[in-house]
Amino acid sequence: MEIIPGLVINLSLIVGVMVKISMVLVLILSFVMVRQENLMNNVVNFPIGGSLKVLTWGYFLLSLFVTVIVLLA
Amino acid sequence: MTTWCLVQLGMPEIFKAKKSENVVDDVEKILGSCPRSQWGSLVAIPEWSKFESQQEDEKIVILGRKHIIRNLGWITVVSFSLFIPMFWKEFPFIKMLDGNALIGMTMLWYMVLAFYGLQNFLMWFYNVYIVTNERIIDVDFVGLLSKNVNVCQLNKIEDVNYSQRGMLASFFNYGDVIVETASKQNVPNARDESSAFTFESIAYPDKVVAVISQLIEEHDDQNNQE
Repeated sequence: MEIIPGLVINLSLIVGVMVKISMVLVLILSFVMVRQENLMNNVVNFPIGGSLKVLTWGYFLLSLFVTVIVLLA
Repeated sequence: MTTWCLVQLGMPEIFKAKKSENVVDDVEKILGSCPRSQWGSLVAIPEWSKFESQQEDEKIVILGRKHIIRNLGWITVVSFSLFIPMFWKEFPFIKMLDGNALIGMTMLWYMVLAFYGLQNFLMWFYNVYIVTNERIIDVDFVGLLSKNVNVCQLNKIEDVNYSQRGMLASFFNYGDVIVETASKQNVPNARDESSAFTFESIAYPDKVVAVISQLIEEHDDQNNQE
């Protein structure tokens, strides 16, 4: 299907765009989770809180890396 | 009379420390060999933990959360979902996609799965019930952006009960501890619990009830002496 000249709209294109948008949303959610873990640890403080902070930051950085790859692909 | 004289002499701190130690000794006897790990469902006298509004002379007696077996649901979902991308080609809709879209979808799938698992873990780990020598606190985090913290002084507690329902609860010895308080709960309870203080699926519910009852009794004795 060619609505815009030179651009063929097919299923893969639509799915690709939806995946990119979803990845950005997951990235935003992962940042919110980092903040939330910080607040949670302030309310109830555990020694393992530091490691969980590293874990959530690690997940955020991983999702940032993956999002950049998917967006540039 | 003797207590008043000693207070005038500036010696209340010794008596405060002794009372706190007696409470701790009594609680130690009830809780016995309960685990002290921060990963447990019921942690007895966690010295290493603090909470937001904790006062200087306030000591955490019990720190509890839902039994680890309650996480079986989401752990099972995550475990099975790990293998679904291996069968992508079995779905006709997905078979039509090109390589790039398929890889993107697979990456998205695993990112969402990781988020789901991590979120559930954090909710389980940080939704805690705290019993101190002065009050009980129920900390509820609901979703990513909201929390409910219910606090009740020990002298406001009217009744403490517990229930164990189902095969898993009996086998793994966990249940609900329901604490009835004198004050009405005006803030709507986030999880629709029957009482503002329902310690859901906590390990050793009988010991928790015993500890709370003991603390109330000691609190009443102190008030009567004063």
